[in-house]
Amino acid sequence: MSPALLSVEGLRVGFRSADGGVVEAVRGVDFCVAPGEAVGIVGESGSGKSLSMLAVMRLLGAPARVTGGRVVFDGEDLLAADEKRMRALRGRDIAMVFQDPQSSLNPALTIGRQITDVVRAHRGVSTGEARRIAAESLERVGIRDAGRRLASYPHEFSGGMRQRALIAMAIACRPRLLIADEPTTALDVTVQAQIVDLIAELRRELGLAVVFISHNLQLVAEIVDRVVVMYGGKVVEDGPVEAIERAPRHPYTSLLKACVPSLSGPVGPLTAIEGAPPRLGRLPAGCPFSPRCPDAIEPCASQMPALVTEAGHRTACWRPR
Amino acid sequence: MSSLRKALHGLDWSGWLGAGIVGLIVLAAIFAPLIAPYDPLALNIEDRLAAPDMRHWLGTDQGGRDILSRILFGARASLFVGIGAVLIGGLIGVSAGVFAAYKGGLGEQIVMRIVDGVASIPLLVWAIAIVGILGVGPMPLGPLLLPNEVKIVALVGCLFSPVFARVTYAVAKRIAGADYVRARFLQGASHWQIVIGDVLPNCLSPIIVQGTLLVAIGIVIEASISFVGLGVQPPQPSWGTMLSDARSAIYSGEWWLPVFPGLAISLTVIGFNLLGDAVRDLFDPRSEARTLVA
Amino acid sequence: MTGPVLSLRGVSKSFSQGGLLDRLRRRDNRLVALHDVSLDVMRGDVVGIVGESGSGKSTLAGLAVGLAQPTSGEVLLDGQSITELMRDHAGPWRRRVQMVFQDSSSALNPRKSVARCLGETLALRGVPKPQRESEIVDLLTLVGLGREIGPRLPHELSGGQRQRIGLARALAMKPEVLIADEPVSALDVSLQAQVINLLSRLTRELGLTLLFISHDLALVRTLCSRIVVMRKGAIVEQGPCLDVLDRPQHPYTQALIAAVPKGLAGRRTPLPVRADVATPKTREDIHGAA
Repeated sequence: MSPALLSVEGLRVGFRSADGGVVEAVRGVDFCVAPGEAVGIVGESGSGKSLSMLAVMRLLGAPARVTGGRVVFDGEDLLAADEKRMRALRGRDIAMVFQDPQSSLNPALTIGRQITDVVRAHRGVSTGEARRIAAESLERVGIRDAGRRLASYPHEFSGGMRQRALIAMAIACRPRLLIADEPTTALDVTVQAQIVDLIAELRRELGLAVVFISHNLQLVAEIVDRVVVMYGGKVVEDGPVEAIERAPRHPYTSLLKACVPSLSGPVGPLTAIEGAPPRLGRLPAGCPFSPRCPDAIEPCASQMPALVTEAGHRTACWRPR
Repeated sequence: MSSLRKALHGLDWSGWLGAGIVGLIVLAAIFAPLIAPYDPLALNIEDRLAAPDMRHWLGTDQGGRDILSRILFGARASLFVGIGAVLIGGLIGVSAGVFAAYKGGLGEQIVMRIVDGVASIPLLVWAIAIVGILGVGPMPLGPLLLPNEVKIVALVGCLFSPVFARVTYAVAKRIAGADYVRARFLQGASHWQIVIGDVLPNCLSPIIVQGTLLVAIGIVIEASISFVGLGVQPPQPSWGTMLSDARSAIYSGEWWLPVFPGLAISLTVIGFNLLGDAVRDLFDPRSEARTLVA
Repeated sequence: MTGPVLSLRGVSKSFSQGGLLDRLRRRDNRLVALHDVSLDVMRGDVVGIVGESGSGKSTLAGLAVGLAQPTSGEVLLDGQSITELMRDHAGPWRRRVQMVFQDSSSALNPRKSVARCLGETLALRGVPKPQRESEIVDLLTLVGLGREIGPRLPHELSGGQRQRIGLARALAMKPEVLIADEPVSALDVSLQAQVINLLSRLTRELGLTLLFISHDLALVRTLCSRIVVMRKGAIVEQGPCLDVLDRPQHPYTQALIAAVPKGLAGRRTPLPVRADVATPKTREDIHGAA
């Protein structure tokens, strides 16, 4: 097994609550990303999936902060790195694409200026060379007539094109890891499919490792090698995409699959997961899914099951399916 | 009342300071006849220009009138104009703002352009210009004769209304487009029911904050127009006329003449501003848009 | 023989843009949101209206429910023009068409408790005060909530609970036609199924006619008997739901279907040889084949 490019070990993120205590939203998360591997992180709101990745990038804003764990990127502990080192890594070695392409671009600067700024900051090249790289990146993400489009402002782009431009910015410095946080949630379905294709294609061509954060298991399964399922700030299952899709072991994963209808097969009532997603600070001591789990047994609510590895497939459940 | 208690509980120290100052001044204005040691109008030539001492704590003016008593009674004029103008301006401005936001269309455009036009010239300039045109003293209005103070309150109130209209419009525009307003419309609720029951209650917090801050500005405007002789007329005490009378004393060494009314104005303005800021923080912990007025 | 309960006849809707000056100069930039749309909805139909942003599906919802009037054409409720009916703003026709909104946080007045919100609605339907309390409990039960929810304010509820209250509020008017504008797209996946199942049960039990507006084809397939596909303000294809989804005729419908995430079945990247070791460089490129 190749050494991990990114390894997250026992990561914890907490918020200072109004009454002075600390509420943990990410509660001991472990997972690895191998060089060139695509990993999907799937979870609903409040699962801690986005917070975990913001913590990896050291982009958590107050009042959230890392309360424990290690984040190792290419042998270097990111949580111990100083801000200067992080600035050098962000954008050059690790790039991130966010959900809302509208707010991720500066409306007052041209697309070209925004990409060349990033290129010049990280690669130390001349302005002309930076423009050449920017045009090349735009073309790479499928924006036609890239040279001329460099002079466009974000408002002249459609939502899908903005997201493409952001991806161009992300890959312009040839990062080794691309973190995409719900990159298609704000887009129309047909555009979503194009962006997902684009990410899969770039990954193959550039040998990029990808972390794809989403609430949609079906979407993630189209492009990743491995899926990490999170619930209530914990990893509940982590396995090869085929295993997760065909034989999920954690009841949450299998219900999550079942409650999304498909375009084929018989039509009938949907399998619903009863109850509501967990609220921060009101999680049971045991498995966070236990209050909603149809399979829950006696130790579930009181004791958190360990993540047990079996043939490269990890599951945290007292009664795996 | 429990919500009031909760609100008081949430005040920080500067909020408490503001509330304390405002409370003291309001009490002083209400109970001025009981606590003032002298008649504010009583002339006493023997005691003219007396420095502060045990008999006259804050000294006397050129006519021998007790400055402390005049400041206490002057608080009435200041608060009357400040609070009265805010009530009048609030009534007109909030109605106009809600109307423009809820009605939309041409009415909205016209109301808001008028508001922008009025707001493009500073309040104080408007106030002095209009009083200058109307002249001092009572003003006939149809069969009524508006007393001088009422005229000033009404004028400052009208000048405040665009400020209220803008603040109200900004919030009400968002709320008028909210789905819960649409839902009420679809249930067949009348426009009146929707505006009173759904739109207004959700606009109140920024309006109250704005009102508190505007009281301070109203007090400054009253003092300013009285200072230039267009406001409260002598011998009635007002902080502005007191300052105006004190002009000649600045170089002759009777420092208590300008200093105490000036302090009264500053303290009151600071009090209302602190209170306004605290109320804003109470309503909105994130305290987004700090609206600048005047 | 009964006609359609709701029907659109050559309906167009455009919005004017620009400010006062543009208006006075009669220089209107009009944005056409709907163009010559005709549609018949029969009593008891569950119709899915599908499209992407800019398709005009939300504009259509607003016209059908009487929030706005068409620029041209007619919207008919049981054969009566809604433009005519709207002259009587609070008329009895109002309660016959109700709406469920997308964003549950903006759909409820933040200062009104659940009981007050439902109570005011019942009052407008003319339910006398003594009966309101028991009707509120009935409504809450109908949408699967307990009476303890009554005194709560919207921010004290979860997204799923708020959406149920929005549904209860619409049902409080005892509508015949319910228009749901993306009612689950703001909800977590695990809650979507709950609300969809609830909608499905209620339409059946109460004999409602439902217009379900969505961008999610799979949800429409689960819930609806008919489907209407819209694009750029016009209907491009309509018909029985399963027929259209199994044999789409219009290229846009085909593109929408192709774009639905399908998990492993929709995979355009080959699976790794061994799942725990990723070896992207040795992978063959099957992109052209997919």
